[in-house]
Amino acid sequence: MSDPQELTQEALAAIARAQTENELAAIEVDYLRRKNGRISSLLSDIGKLPPEERAALGQAANEAKRVIEAALAAKRHELEEARLADIAETEAIDITFPGAPLGRGHIHVLTQVQRQIETVLESLGYQVELGPEVETEWYNFEALNIPPGHPARENWDSFYFTPDLLLRAHTSPVQIRAMQRIKEPPIYIITPGRCYRRDAPEATRLPYFSQVEGLAVDKALTVGDMKGTLLYMIQSLYGEERKVRVRPSYFPFTEPSFEFDVTCGICAGAGCKSCRHKGWLEVGGCGMVHPQVLRNGGIDPEKWNGYAWGFGIERMAMLKHDVDDIRLFYESDLRFLEQF
Amino acid sequence: MKISYEWIGDFVDLDGVTPKEAAEVLTRLGIEVESLTVIDLSQIIVGKVLEQKPHPKSKTKLWIHQVDLGTRTEQIIAGADNAVPGSLVPVALPGTTVPNGKVVKDLNIAGYSAKGMLCSAEELLLGDDHSGILILDSGRPGDPLTTVIPSQATMDVEVTSNRPDCMGHLGVARELAAGLDRPMKVDFMPAFTGKSEPAGRDMVKVSIDDADLCSRYIGGVITGVKVGTSPDWVQRRLRACGVRPINNIVDITNYVLLEYAQPLHAFDRAKLSGGEVHVRRARAGEKLLCLDGVERELTPEMLVIADADKPVAIAGVIGGEETAVTDATADVLLEAATFNGPNVRQTARAFGLRTEASARFEKGLPAELALAGARRAAALIAELAGGAVHREWADVYPRPQEPVRIRLKPWLVDEVLGIHVPLEDSEAILIRLGFHVRILGDGEWDVLPPVFRLDVSIPEDLVEEVGRVWGYDRVPPTLPGRRRDRWTPSIPSMGRRLDAARQVLAGAGFTETWNPALVSGRMLEQLRVGARALGVSNPLSDDMDTLRTSLLPSLVNVVALNRDRGRMGVKVYEIAAVFLARVGDKTTQQPEEPQRLGAVTDAGATAESGREAFYAMKSVLDGCVRELGAPAYSYRRASAEMFHPGRCAAVFLEARQLGYIGELHPFVVANAGLEGRLVAIEIDLDPVLATAEIRRGQPLPRFPAIERDLAVVVEEHVAAGALLATIKEAGRDILERSRPFDEYRGAQVPDGHKSVAFALTFRSPERTLTDAEVDNVMGEIKLALEKKHSARFRE
Ligand SMILES: [Zn+2]
Repeated sequence: MSDPQELTQEALAAIARAQTENELAAIEVDYLRRKNGRISSLLSDIGKLPPEERAALGQAANEAKRVIEAALAAKRHELEEARLADIAETEAIDITFPGAPLGRGHIHVLTQVQRQIETVLESLGYQVELGPEVETEWYNFEALNIPPGHPARENWDSFYFTPDLLLRAHTSPVQIRAMQRIKEPPIYIITPGRCYRRDAPEATRLPYFSQVEGLAVDKALTVGDMKGTLLYMIQSLYGEERKVRVRPSYFPFTEPSFEFDVTCGICAGAGCKSCRHKGWLEVGGCGMVHPQVLRNGGIDPEKWNGYAWGFGIERMAMLKHDVDDIRLFYESDLRFLEQF
Repeated sequence: MKISYEWIGDFVDLDGVTPKEAAEVLTRLGIEVESLTVIDLSQIIVGKVLEQKPHPKSKTKLWIHQVDLGTRTEQIIAGADNAVPGSLVPVALPGTTVPNGKVVKDLNIAGYSAKGMLCSAEELLLGDDHSGILILDSGRPGDPLTTVIPSQATMDVEVTSNRPDCMGHLGVARELAAGLDRPMKVDFMPAFTGKSEPAGRDMVKVSIDDADLCSRYIGGVITGVKVGTSPDWVQRRLRACGVRPINNIVDITNYVLLEYAQPLHAFDRAKLSGGEVHVRRARAGEKLLCLDGVERELTPEMLVIADADKPVAIAGVIGGEETAVTDATADVLLEAATFNGPNVRQTARAFGLRTEASARFEKGLPAELALAGARRAAALIAELAGGAVHREWADVYPRPQEPVRIRLKPWLVDEVLGIHVPLEDSEAILIRLGFHVRILGDGEWDVLPPVFRLDVSIPEDLVEEVGRVWGYDRVPPTLPGRRRDRWTPSIPSMGRRLDAARQVLAGAGFTETWNPALVSGRMLEQLRVGARALGVSNPLSDDMDTLRTSLLPSLVNVVALNRDRGRMGVKVYEIAAVFLARVGDKTTQQPEEPQRLGAVTDAGATAESGREAFYAMKSVLDGCVRELGAPAYSYRRASAEMFHPGRCAAVFLEARQLGYIGELHPFVVANAGLEGRLVAIEIDLDPVLATAEIRRGQPLPRFPAIERDLAVVVEEHVAAGALLATIKEAGRDILERSRPFDEYRGAQVPDGHKSVAFALTFRSPERTLTDAEVDNVMGEIKLALEKKHSARFRE
C-alpha cells in the first residue's frame, strides 16, 4: 500500500507525460474513479486504522485528489491550447471555392418594374384598378371619345372577335369602369395591364404589351399637378436628376393632350447617340381628361376635372435596364430573364 | 412629313432664326420635329465658265474649264461636259467639304492642275441628278451660292391626326409665326385671279350625287396652258419633300398640296367626255387604269369622279391615266374638292394605296381649304405655264362648312394650367393663331376659330391653344393636395398579393415568364383545349389567331425553346389571365378571364424522375397556397386534357376545384418536339385570394411531444391518403401531426404490396404524455388500419 504523496507524484508524472485527452481520461479513471480508483482504494482499509490516523489519511487523500484534479485541468488546458494553436493550418479551407448555386428562380423584370411603379404611385395615394382584357367597342373607343371613322382610330388598330368585342388597345377602359364604379371623386387610380395592337412585331413594338395608366379626378386639378405627378414618378424610379417635359400632342380623350419626355440617362439631356441627339426620351402620353370622357364615366365635368397619363411598362423597363429589344421580354429565354 | 425650311420662309420672316431653333419652337408647339437635315451651301460660290476644252492626255474623258470667280479665274477639271462657256455653275474650292461629304482637294490630273470642283445637284444634296453639273438660272461670279439658292434644311415632322391643316407648309409656317410672335406674310385665302371669258362654270358641268361623301367640288378651267418642266425652285422644293417632278401642271398641283394641305387634281379637259364631272359612287364592275399604271376594280362603296361615260379618278386617292395632263394638253380642269375622310380611308385601305392626297383627306379637311388651294394653284399655273384662268368656276357646295363659336370663360386658362396667363396675352395668342375674339359684357369671350381649324370646338381646346403657345415649360410642377373628406382605404393590389406566391416559386427555383396571350388556335385544338377558345377575326398571323385557354401550352413551348438553347431542368411559371368564351346564348358577351398560375418543370427522362417531380410540384403548390393565406386544399385523382392519365390530380379548395397538378401527357410533350417528362400545375387564383385569411398566431406547445414511426404494409392500390385519413381518425386528439414520408417495395414486402412509412407526432396541450398512453393509441391506429385496409406492419 502506497501513501498519498507517492501516489500523487506518480500521477503528476503520468499527467506530465500524457499527450492526448485519451491518456488524461485514462489517468483520471485510474486515480480518481470513485470505485476502485487508486485514491479511493487508499481509504478502503481506513476502518482498520486507529481513529487519530483516520482523519489524517482522509485529509491526505483529499489533498492528493485535489492536486491530481488540478494537474489534469491544467494539462487539459495546455493540450487544448496546443490543439487550437495550429487550426489555422490544420483546418484551413480554400475560401475561393464557390458555394453551391442557390437554384433560386427569378421574378420577371416586367413584374418587378410594374411593382416599382405601383409602389411609387401608391405612395401618392393612387390605387390599383384592374379590368378585362377583352373589351367592348364602347369602353375601348366610344367612351374615350373615339367614335367609328375617327381618324385617330388608326393609332389603335385592334384585334376583333366580333364587331363589338376586341382586345383592349390600352388600359383606358379601366378608367371608365372605375369612374362608373366609384361615382364620387376624388378618384386616384392606376391601371396596370396587358394591351394589344395590331402591329407587326419588331424591336421597338409588339402586338401585345403592357401599360400603366393613371387617372386623377378631383376638384381644380391643373396641368402643373399632372407635371408634378409625372416628375415625382420619374424621379422616384430613375433618380432625382431626371427632368420631365410635356409636349403638346393630340389624343381624343384628353384636352389639352401631351407627350411626356424624360431626359436621357446617358447624356443628361445634352444629346447623344442613344437619344438620337435629342436629349429627351419619349415615355408616354398624358393630358387633362376631356369633359366628354368624364361624362361617359358618369362624372360631372362642371364640378370635377382630372388628368390622366399612360405609358408602356416595357418602355420603362427598357430605359431602366438598358434593354434594346422589346421582344426579349416575351421570348422567355431564361438567359435573359435570369439577368434581373 | 417633310417640311422645307426655305419654303416656310415664303410665309414668315425667318431672319435670325436657325433651322434648329425653328425645329425647337415647332416641337414645343406640338408639331414634333423628328429629325432635321441641314444642307450648308455657304461654302460654295458661283462661278461662270469662260472656256471649256477636252483634256488632251487623260484616259477617261475629262474637260478643262476656265472659271471666272469674280476676283480671279481658276482652272477646274470635270467629267461632265454640260458646263459650256457662259454657264453659271456652283464651285467648291479646295479645302471645302461639299454637302454630300466629299472633301475637295488641290489636284494635278495628268499634268493639268485642278483648283476646285464644279458641283452636280447630287453633290449639293439638291436632287438626285448626278449626270451633269448643276447649271444655275442666275448669280454673280464670286458671290456665295446662297445668293441664288438659300441653304437648305428639311425637317421631318409628325403632325397629329387632329391637325390636317398642318400637313402643308402654310400651316406649319402659321404655327411657327405664332410661336415666334412674327406676322404672317400672306393671307389664308388668296385672291381670285380668274377673268377670262367665258365663265368657267359654263365650260364644265359638275354634279355631286352623294353629298355625304363629297361636301364640295370646285372645278376651275384654265385654257391654253403650255405643259413643260417646272422651274428649278419648284423642282427643288418638291424633291426636298420627296415628290418627283413630272410636268409643270402636275407639279403645281403637288406643290399646292404640300403648301396648303389641299389635294388637287388636274384633268386634261379635252379628254373628259361631254365636259362633264359627276361625283358618284362607282358602279359594280367599273375599272380604272390609274396614274401608277395599275388597273383597279371599283366597288359601290367607293366614290369616283366620272365624266359622262366612265370613272376618271378615284375620289381623294388617285387619278386616272387616260385623262391625265400630258405634253399635248392645252386646257386643264383643276379639281379642288372636299371628300369624306372615313370613306377615303376605307377606299385607300381597300387598295392598300396611301397617297399624299388620301393621307390628308382621311383626316377630314375643311371645305374652305378647297377654295384657297384652287385659287393658289390657278395663279401658279397662269404664272408658270401660261394659260387663261376663266372667271366664275364651277363650285358645287351642298354642305357648307358650319361656323363654330365657342364661349370661353377666359379664367379657365389659369384654372386648367395652374399658372396665371394675363388675359391680354391669352387674347393675343388666339389672334396670332387666326382666331377672332370678342369680349362680352360679362367678361366671357366669344371666340371664332379660323375656318381651317376643324379641331377646335370646346373651351378646353382654346385653353390648349393658349397653353402651347404660352409654353408648358412655364408651368411649374406641383402635386395636388387638399383636405379630403372622402377616401378609399388602401388595399394591396392583386399583383402585390400574388407576390407571396412568386417568392415561394423563386425559392423553389422557378422563373417567371410573360408569354403572349395570342397563340395558335390549331395548337389549342391539337392539345384538345380549344373548345372555349376565342378566335381573332383579323389576326396578324395564324400563330397568333386565338386567345389561350390555358397557360400550359406556352410554358411547354418555353421549356422547348430553352432546351433548344442548351438548358436542361427548366422550371418556369406564369401568372396571367386565360380566356374562356361563355357558352349558350352568351357567346357574344365578354369572355371569362380567370387569373391563373401555371407552372411547368422539366422532370428528366424516367418514370421515376417524373414521379419525384410530381411530389416536388405538390410541395411547391402547397407552399404557394399557404403563403397566399388560403386554407388547406385536397387532391383527388382525376383525368384532364393535356395530363398523364395515371399521374394527374384535381386540386380542391374546400368544395371548389382550382385546377390540376400532374405529369403532362406524353402526346403533349411530343407535340412540342420534346422528349422525357414534364410536370405541371395550372390553378385558378381568384378563389385562392378570395379565401385568403390573415394567419393567426398559435401559442407555443408547453408539453413535450412523442415521435413514432409506423411502416404500414398494404396492397398496391391502397392510397397513402386513405391510410392517412384512417390514422388521423384513430389517433384522436393527441395525434398532433402525421405525414407519410417513404414508400418501399422489395424483399421484405410481399408481391403486389407496398410499405408506406408514416411519421407520427403525439402531444397533449394539457400534460406530458406517457409512453404507455401513446402505445395505447398506436395500438388503436394499427387496429383501425388492419380492419379498414388489411394492413400489416413492419418493425
Ligand atoms: Zn442622350
